[in-house]
Amino acid sequence: MSPALLELRRLAKSFGGARALRGVDFELRAGEVHALLGENGAGKSTLIKIVTGAHQPDSGTIAVAGTPVADLTPASARALGIACIYQQPALFPDLSVAENIALRLESGAGARRVDWRARRERAFTLLNRIGAAISPEAEVRSLSMPEQQLVEIACALGAGARIVIMDEPTASLTQKEQHLLFAVVRDLRTQGVGVIYISHRLEEILALADRVTVLRDGESVGTHPIAEIDEAKLIKLMVGREVAQIYPPSEATPGAVALALRGLGCRASGVHSVSFEVRAGEIFGLAGLVGAGRTELARILFGLTPADAGTIELGGRPIAPQSPQEAVAQGIAYVPEDRRRHGVVLDLPLAPNMTMAIHRRIFPGTWLRPRAERDLALGYIRDLAVKCTGPEALGGSLSGGNQQKVSLARWLATQPRLLILDEPTQGVDVGAKSEIHRIIRRLAKEGLAVLLISSDLPEVLGMSDRIGVMRGGTLAGTLPGGADAPTVMALALGQAA
Amino acid sequence: MAEIPKPKSSSASVWKDRLLSHEMILLYVLIALWVFFYFAGTTVNRRGVVVGFGTLDRQFDILRHSCEIGLLALALTPVIITGGIDLSVGSLLGLSAILFGSFWHDAGLPIPVAIALTLGVGAVAGGLNGALITQLKLPPLIVTLGTYSLFRGLAEAITRGSVTYTDFPAGFLFLGQERLLGLPAQAWLFFAVAAAIWLLVHRTTFGRSFRAIGFAPEGARYAGLPVDRRVASAYVIAGVIAALAAIIYTARLGQAKADAGTGYELFAITAVVLGGTSIFGGTGSIYGTLIGVAAIAVLKNGLACLPAVMRMNAAEEISGLLTGALLLLALTAGVLPRHWAQWRARHPARAG
Repeated sequence: MSPALLELRRLAKSFGGARALRGVDFELRAGEVHALLGENGAGKSTLIKIVTGAHQPDSGTIAVAGTPVADLTPASARALGIACIYQQPALFPDLSVAENIALRLESGAGARRVDWRARRERAFTLLNRIGAAISPEAEVRSLSMPEQQLVEIACALGAGARIVIMDEPTASLTQKEQHLLFAVVRDLRTQGVGVIYISHRLEEILALADRVTVLRDGESVGTHPIAEIDEAKLIKLMVGREVAQIYPPSEATPGAVALALRGLGCRASGVHSVSFEVRAGEIFGLAGLVGAGRTELARILFGLTPADAGTIELGGRPIAPQSPQEAVAQGIAYVPEDRRRHGVVLDLPLAPNMTMAIHRRIFPGTWLRPRAERDLALGYIRDLAVKCTGPEALGGSLSGGNQQKVSLARWLATQPRLLILDEPTQGVDVGAKSEIHRIIRRLAKEGLAVLLISSDLPEVLGMSDRIGVMRGGTLAGTLPGGADAPTVMALALGQAA
Repeated sequence: MAEIPKPKSSSASVWKDRLLSHEMILLYVLIALWVFFYFAGTTVNRRGVVVGFGTLDRQFDILRHSCEIGLLALALTPVIITGGIDLSVGSLLGLSAILFGSFWHDAGLPIPVAIALTLGVGAVAGGLNGALITQLKLPPLIVTLGTYSLFRGLAEAITRGSVTYTDFPAGFLFLGQERLLGLPAQAWLFFAVAAAIWLLVHRTTFGRSFRAIGFAPEGARYAGLPVDRRVASAYVIAGVIAALAAIIYTARLGQAKADAGTGYELFAITAVVLGGTSIFGGTGSIYGTLIGVAAIAVLKNGLACLPAVMRMNAAEEISGLLTGALLLLALTAGVLPRHWAQWRARHPARAG
């Protein structure tokens, strides 16, 4: 038997303290569609980035067609015939299909006359090979999303790609467009190309793939021929871990309703008809896949993308925040997902970071009061055990977990009624993670209503008093705190449990 | 709970950092330039009178001539700290000068009223910049490039390219041409504005917000800061100060004309950036800007006093050349340590 097209052995990769991959084995054969499945953060993206040369593995080996390769770079990966097709094609919209293909394939060395006929003919041949009825002269702008993906695939084939990676290719496609894409994928298979196919849609994987590998917490939990597996088994493989971490027990005694949403929606961000209540002292977890609308919902509540349907009640009073300022004034705090861009100003010291949302209260009359600011910062540094050299340390000098505590301190200083936490422990090392969990518990105990958005399923399960599962921009269901992972995952994926 | 560890750096190294900051190094350069010109640019003429750079009269002259560009540099510092730019301040100086002359001469208003109205025009013009930038989300460079032409064009339209306003009362000209308590009169105004802008940038929540917005515009929005209002206020303040510079300009020259302040915006931006304010926003200080203004003024006037330069009759050209060189040197020195660190990180073996 010929060697596998791509063989990964014991691949490991860490980012700071977080271990994204812990010794993954993976094999792709020629003429195979191999699906890669896993929860958010299971390690799929890291794996792909290593195969395409964007990241270097810490350890492990990569072999392409039996030959070991070391020091893979994006350029050398391309030269080895590895191509990746992303959800959003990266083509030049104002150039023709033929020109776009030429830009990828013609080397840029030296000035030559452009051979327009050769360009058109090559584009025509490549598009024909995948059975795509697209004119080489069409402007890319005029093409639909799947047509653009087909152009990307044509580029990949033109570059001699033997390994094609497709990352959620159907996420923004209609049913009909999907069938077009699937036909091309099957065609690639018959031409001996190996396809790594990443998708959250189980039915798609079952219909298209030959084998499936499931990743969980940076480890492969097994590779199975598609004939031997079904949806229920896949879900179980994805979530079926022992609870690896001990979460502090809930001590909540939920009080009055703090937040009530009725039919909330915002067309611009794809969120519609969301209704639920969060009580004071309660941690309400929001689970769902990436793109299910959880962050979008938080942005509506925080006035970043104001709602255009439904109502928000905070402490019994209807509110409609049109900007973060209004949301803050009404008692909403939002610890954002993107800590480095939105959560902490990396170039400012900790003290100004922590007082940023309370200028009016701590600096009445607009004059800065350095001593009051320093005292407040020292208080939170002690209280939340922020590891730093002092209030003068720059935000960017702290580790991820400590930055997150600074972001948290900024919002606790506003003394909010509702605390929205968006991925509060993403990219945070294990120690800081459990500290943050204890802080969240304490805040809830003190009577704060907490909305906890997390893609870390055990975290949502372990921390939440109740769990809302979002799918496709709306609430797919609400589960009690003790819900198990397969139930949540089934709701998030839209499968009957 | 965790004790706060003492900062690792000793007080000696804190002082070392302070003495080697961008502003301090520029200050050393300024002092070196000054001393050089003091010795090389001062001569005794045939009648035995000391002339040139080293005379007190010349020093006051430098101060007098620096006030307008200095004011524009002060106006630009908060704007640049927010990550913006205002190219229109020089043109606004011209427009304000013309309107001031017109308020006084054509409308017959008393000087104080004309001054107040002119400052109001400055605020409105700055408000126009601010509104276009924050409400329409247009890039500051393009917006103020537009108003740069617009304001100058308006000034020329009002004067039909030929009218100049002169014959201002002596009481008004005192502001631009006489001394008060030993210093040129307008210097007091300049120092007052410098103190006010220093307080604004370094001692109030406005300055804090400018910095946060300059470093992380989205981050500032996520923190609930009124980003648009703060940014707009920086442009309004810049407009008012540009109008004030127009008043001083008119008082110094005794005439208001449409081409007043042409090209001043570029000198002002140079002074601000030379003073260590990052054109990308966030970092910057008023003392840096003041040292930057002084460095450019000393370089320009000092060169004009050098015998060799006088013989060539090329003081303008050489001072332009050296100002440019100094700016590029300052910028390069600012980024070199980072590039060096990156290079070292990439090539650990070669850096040894």
